[in-house]
Amino acid sequence: MNADVDVLIIGAGASGAAFAWSMADTRMRILCLEQGDWMNPANYPSTRRDWEVRMDREYSPNPNLRRRPEDYPVNDDDSPISVLNFNGVGGSTILYAAHFPRPHPSDFRVRSLDGVADDWPIDYAALEPYYALNDRQMGVAGLAGDPAYPPHEPNLPPIPLGLAGETMGRGFNALGWHWWPSDTAIATQEYEGRAACVNLGPCKSGCAQGAKGSVDITYWPIARRAGVQLRTRCRVREILVDDKDMATGVVYYDERGVEHAQRAEVVVLACNGVGTPRLLLNSRSARFPDGLANRSGLVGRNLMIHPWGMVRGAFDAPLDSHRGPLSCCIWSQQFYETDLSRGFVRGYNMQVTRGLGPVATARMGVARGDIPWGEGHHEAFARRHGRSIGIGICCEDLPEECNTVTLDPVLTDSNGIPAPKITYRLSENTERMLRHGLARGTEVMKAAGAWDVYCEGPVRQTGWHLLGTARMGEDPERSVVNGWGRSHDVKNLFIIDGSVFVTSGGVNPTPTIQAVALYIAAAMKQRLANLFD
Amino acid sequence: MTTVRVEIAEPSQSLTPGQRASLDIVLNMIVPPSADGRMPGAAEVGVPDYLYAEARDALPELCRELDELDRRSLERFARGFAQLQDRERKPLIEEMRAREPSFMSRLAMETLACYYLHDRVLEGLGMEARPPYPKGYQVVQGDLSLLNPVRERGKIYRDAP
Repeated sequence: MNADVDVLIIGAGASGAAFAWSMADTRMRILCLEQGDWMNPANYPSTRRDWEVRMDREYSPNPNLRRRPEDYPVNDDDSPISVLNFNGVGGSTILYAAHFPRPHPSDFRVRSLDGVADDWPIDYAALEPYYALNDRQMGVAGLAGDPAYPPHEPNLPPIPLGLAGETMGRGFNALGWHWWPSDTAIATQEYEGRAACVNLGPCKSGCAQGAKGSVDITYWPIARRAGVQLRTRCRVREILVDDKDMATGVVYYDERGVEHAQRAEVVVLACNGVGTPRLLLNSRSARFPDGLANRSGLVGRNLMIHPWGMVRGAFDAPLDSHRGPLSCCIWSQQFYETDLSRGFVRGYNMQVTRGLGPVATARMGVARGDIPWGEGHHEAFARRHGRSIGIGICCEDLPEECNTVTLDPVLTDSNGIPAPKITYRLSENTERMLRHGLARGTEVMKAAGAWDVYCEGPVRQTGWHLLGTARMGEDPERSVVNGWGRSHDVKNLFIIDGSVFVTSGGVNPTPTIQAVALYIAAAMKQRLANLFD
Repeated sequence: MTTVRVEIAEPSQSLTPGQRASLDIVLNMIVPPSADGRMPGAAEVGVPDYLYAEARDALPELCRELDELDRRSLERFARGFAQLQDRERKPLIEEMRAREPSFMSRLAMETLACYYLHDRVLEGLGMEARPPYPKGYQVVQGDLSLLNPVRERGKIYRDAP
């Protein structure tokens, strides 16, 4: 029999870790259940010669390919973009690039400024202290003074531009476009017990050096020392409620498949934009026949996923581009704010990435026909390896109720819990935005001197950013949680992950997910005496 | 010729000598040795062992396709695939790529992975044959004065009400 707890957090990823750390000073009994396990950095691919192969297998970001015991399958047949995630202590921060841009102030006011979607019930100014707090905890490298943002001071010097960043910077300058070294959650110097980055490269398969700010090495050690319990390999099946519409706890399975009950005064969901609606929809009861906290009918709707374009250029000069943090270098927000003359509303971030390793260079080149079989293979490979640069086009997709997470009628995880099904399509606005981004990416590649450029989008294996499926708002008819994360329907149920996003912005969402989690924790601590009123 | 050597305990037993000879030729048609001898051909880097370790499920089809290659070679030239001239082999391989594009693509992708992990190949490329960790790599910091024109243009974000 498990002892009752005050606060039960489901999910030990980006938001759950930040929230647990913040709540620890209340001295309440706090427990986090995580379906995955602790990671051992000594096993990360970069410790092995075959790191490029391992990245695509047991460290693949796609759970349908990775198939670890702790993963659940996702039916993404009805989506041009696959869902990517990681299940373990640290969640998707284990495999994320640590590209760490904040959104713009305008991202929280899209209805007021651009007449589309809805404004958030909170704004950039309200979140700014929590961005700054989170930056300190995660250890963010960057360069102050970026004119694309209100002033903020990264804690650490920026990651190296490298020859690739310099080359692209000159290209952006030739066009008179904005660019800036990326903010990254990468320790460029020793920081809070973390070693400095040594440019291993494959950050997106785990950082063996411990320089990347994944929450298993940032928030969790401090939260646990402060008394938060973290129980791994515990997969929650459903959240239970009483006849007063209050959550009473959860039912979960342990590693051996044994069912357990865990009672709690407060339940906090931190499973992000697919896992959270999945769990709510799996928590049906007589009082909530359409899923828990779903009287609005919006749980699982408005999925936003940031359709991604990729532009890749090959250059004559050696750039050593296969070295350094693979997916972090510089960004451009030249086309981030709305300009209707472009043919679409809202905008996108251009994330300049470095080159690929030898295996990926060869495989991509052969698959595309750029590197032939047989005669000419070595010469074509040499013209691309270490001489290529990428640009990711991160498009803001607006919320649409037709883009959904539902329960698959057949597919289940290893415990028999129904798996999520994704139904997603790009809107015309997003399609136009993506085409614009690919064209501008091609233009800047050529301005930088690329002799060959190709582009594609949407790229299927890019569904990292899972947002909007339990949106926040003040109207219970039009939102799932209020402006500080509390369910409108279940007063002791909170959601603190990317599913509460009202709109998606056009940048990687982890800093905002964590700032929102810290904001909600602070709001709860201020209201502890009347939290459920 | 049979293709039932599916459940194999050792990589050396997974292919008949004839299949192995044909495979070596196919591998070198994917990545040949370089003319200057600096880069080995794909037949020299242990692809069968790699396939056994990393793509075992592909071996039965590989055996079938190699047998089919030999059968077509015998039918057309009255000689096994391994005994053909390069100009005779090429159309057979092109037919195979057209007939089984998915399998041939996978064979190529697995071959490239094995090839570009091999010490001789990495050394031929001028790279150190080692994992990234723990030594890492040096990356030049770069010239941040390139940002001066960006600074000079000033603020580009919108204020929000």
